[in-house]
Amino acid sequence: MNNSLEEKIARVKGELTSEDILVFRFSSLSGRNFACVYTDGIVDKNMIGELIVKPLREVKAEDGADRIKKLLAAPELKDGKDFADVIERISDGDAALFAEGAEEVFILGVKSPPGRAVAEPPTQVTVKGPREGFTEDIKVNLGLVRKRVKSPALQVKTITCGKQSRTAVAICYLEGICKKGLPEKIEKQLKANEIDILADSSYAAGFISQRPRSLFKRNATCEKPDIFCAKLCEGRVGLICDGSPIAITVPYMLVEDFQTAEDYYSVSYRATILRVLRFAAVLLGILLPAFYVCAQLFKIQLIPAKLLFKIASSVAGIPLSPSVEIFFALFVLEVLNEASIRMPKYVGLALSVVGALVLGDTAVKAGIISTPAVIIIAFSAICLYTVPDLVETSATLRLMFLIIAGSVGAFGVILAIAFIMSYLVTEQSYGVPLLSPYAPVIAKDMRDAIYKYDTGALKTRPKALKSPNKVRLKNKR
Amino acid sequence: MNEKISVRQICFILFAYNAATKMLLFPTFAAEAAGNALIFPILFDLAVQTAVVWSVAYLSSRTDKTLFALLEDNLGKVAARVIYALLGLWFLLSAVVPVNEQQLLVHDAFYDTMPSLWIFMPFFVFAVYAGVKSLTNVGRCADLCFPIFLFCTLSFMVMAVEGADFTALLPVLKGPFNKVAGLGVSSLYRFSESTFLLIFMGHYKYGKGDAAKMTLSYAAGGIAAVAFITLFYCVYGPLAPTRSFALSSISVFFPSISYVGRIDLYLLYAFDIVALFATVLNIQAFVHCMCKVFSRDCRIIYSLAACAALIAVTFAVNNNFITLQKAAAGWFWIPALAFAYILPPLAWILRRKR
Repeated sequence: MNNSLEEKIARVKGELTSEDILVFRFSSLSGRNFACVYTDGIVDKNMIGELIVKPLREVKAEDGADRIKKLLAAPELKDGKDFADVIERISDGDAALFAEGAEEVFILGVKSPPGRAVAEPPTQVTVKGPREGFTEDIKVNLGLVRKRVKSPALQVKTITCGKQSRTAVAICYLEGICKKGLPEKIEKQLKANEIDILADSSYAAGFISQRPRSLFKRNATCEKPDIFCAKLCEGRVGLICDGSPIAITVPYMLVEDFQTAEDYYSVSYRATILRVLRFAAVLLGILLPAFYVCAQLFKIQLIPAKLLFKIASSVAGIPLSPSVEIFFALFVLEVLNEASIRMPKYVGLALSVVGALVLGDTAVKAGIISTPAVIIIAFSAICLYTVPDLVETSATLRLMFLIIAGSVGAFGVILAIAFIMSYLVTEQSYGVPLLSPYAPVIAKDMRDAIYKYDTGALKTRPKALKSPNKVRLKNKR
Repeated sequence: MNEKISVRQICFILFAYNAATKMLLFPTFAAEAAGNALIFPILFDLAVQTAVVWSVAYLSSRTDKTLFALLEDNLGKVAARVIYALLGLWFLLSAVVPVNEQQLLVHDAFYDTMPSLWIFMPFFVFAVYAGVKSLTNVGRCADLCFPIFLFCTLSFMVMAVEGADFTALLPVLKGPFNKVAGLGVSSLYRFSESTFLLIFMGHYKYGKGDAAKMTLSYAAGGIAAVAFITLFYCVYGPLAPTRSFALSSISVFFPSISYVGRIDLYLLYAFDIVALFATVLNIQAFVHCMCKVFSRDCRIIYSLAACAALIAVTFAVNNNFITLQKAAAGWFWIPALAFAYILPPLAWILRRKR
């Protein structure tokens, strides 16, 4: 880059033609000219003034690049490698400083994209324990991780994904604790996908999944840095994508979704009870509508006699068959659910009143659907939300089981369960069986699965993760 | 394909699958054949098969090769293939009774009214799918099935014990000896798990004491089945042969049933998951054998072929299970004797190198 200042700026403007790429020209007291090129809206202009313009007022006409570098007060200061690198840095939110008479281009980290403050994540609310959640800013998120894991073993490798979006993705792991070769494998898989825009971490999750079309996911998600760090310390690899408040961790085990951060902050017995409750609730949520239909259509003995009389009086006169009735109720629930998420809050409130009263109460009074059907679908929905990370899978399974129950009956449901078991037992996430530590049985890992030992007894990292450093706790117990 | 299986998983198979297959229609037939003396021929068959299981398990401590490799080394490739083909046919044959028992169970316990035979056909979809799976998959399914089996069986027995009258077993050996001995011979084919162990040979890492673990697991599974069958007889006494499925009738006298409904049916459904895996194990073993015979891993074709044959048999014996049962009791013991009682000890004479 040995052209004059104006030629350099013209070359940059020739490449970055957008109007939000601004050129700020200024001079030192001795008359030396400078130009700072940056993207409007994502840089902190005060920082440009304080860290670049103010110090450079002292530059003299004969000062070289070294002197300029010394005067710049920016903590993030790099030399632009070549023209392409300069263009990429400007697009990414850094400022490029061109000096008259100097060949070098200085890249200054003055990025300050608009973003929200650190807040409690809406999907992982806790009563006990830290309340900080990830934001959409990768730097803030990495800061939250660094705040908790100060070890030099923490490695953060940032790569860029998305041809147009050039989204930064940070691959985080603990050197010596994470299985060797795993971060490289993930990086390779991420780089193998050339997409225009990486809008969210779920895109990355799809790219690193070995079976992206499967109903069962292959990665865990978390919105809380404390969970993220705990998973890194177990030997997992974490991915933080710029623009997404949801981080991803791999390898994944299905049992992870039944665990919450709070389990580790409360008494182990209580945690165990809650985990069993979540597991039972998900099973019930998936299977209850199916078995209700089975009982009504094929095996009436599945319902206790007294309850049967109640149900019989409720369903008398209902024009729909049990399976269609439940299917209809489920359809209404899904529509209400979808609409209430998308609508503005004040409309959503009205919608829930309309949904609960008009569609629920009135439909029952009108004799379109029965009270037990409404209760079962409502209870099933509540049950599924005890494990929010699995809702996508469990709601699909519930629908699938309902269709099977209405057509084949309980035997179809049992066959479908056996089918899912047979499918899941050999499914893996980066070499770790999804159903681990139950299939295959890993006795030591069962200490923190559905049953939870107290923290003092969890001395080793999960064996399934094949960490080279197995011990995580040393004590005399 | 990953064909590794662990000793623990084999133990679970020998315990849970062994017991599960003997808890469907077998209690009724045993009660009919030997009356209150049903326990003795079953124990006899169990003891003999346990010894055979031990012989195969102990053989594994002397070689890390598969049975096919041993046969190939000693008798040549052609002979090894012929023996494996016959073994495969045995697995297919031994699947006939469990599949039809499963079909009857489905008709009896899953529906109020007798459904069409077509309602059972999805089973074969599952069987084709499970048939192509590796031994690793078989082992891991056993990991999941074991606790289900344990929970369901214990629950059944706890619920049944209150209605049991143990004096129904007295006087011991009331029935004629030839009937008791007849049951011992005719039910030999039901105790043939050593053949699975032959298939698993060379696919697991033998450790010190594993032969004892496997043998004890098999014996424990058999004893669990014997306990269940005995309890069933004690609940119903001489009426036991009239109850088609012990599983659906053993717990009906449990007092809470009248308040909370037929919770035993939910247990039965959970138990049926184990029974399903135990049934398809024969198909998986058949597919494994065929892969060796043809030296090609066309699992889906072998699995489809096995299921097609079983569908044909199921339609042929539709609503006429008694005929099948009589035929099985009459001559199934002959191939069972050859494959499950004579072949495994014969494997000892094969020259082996670790």
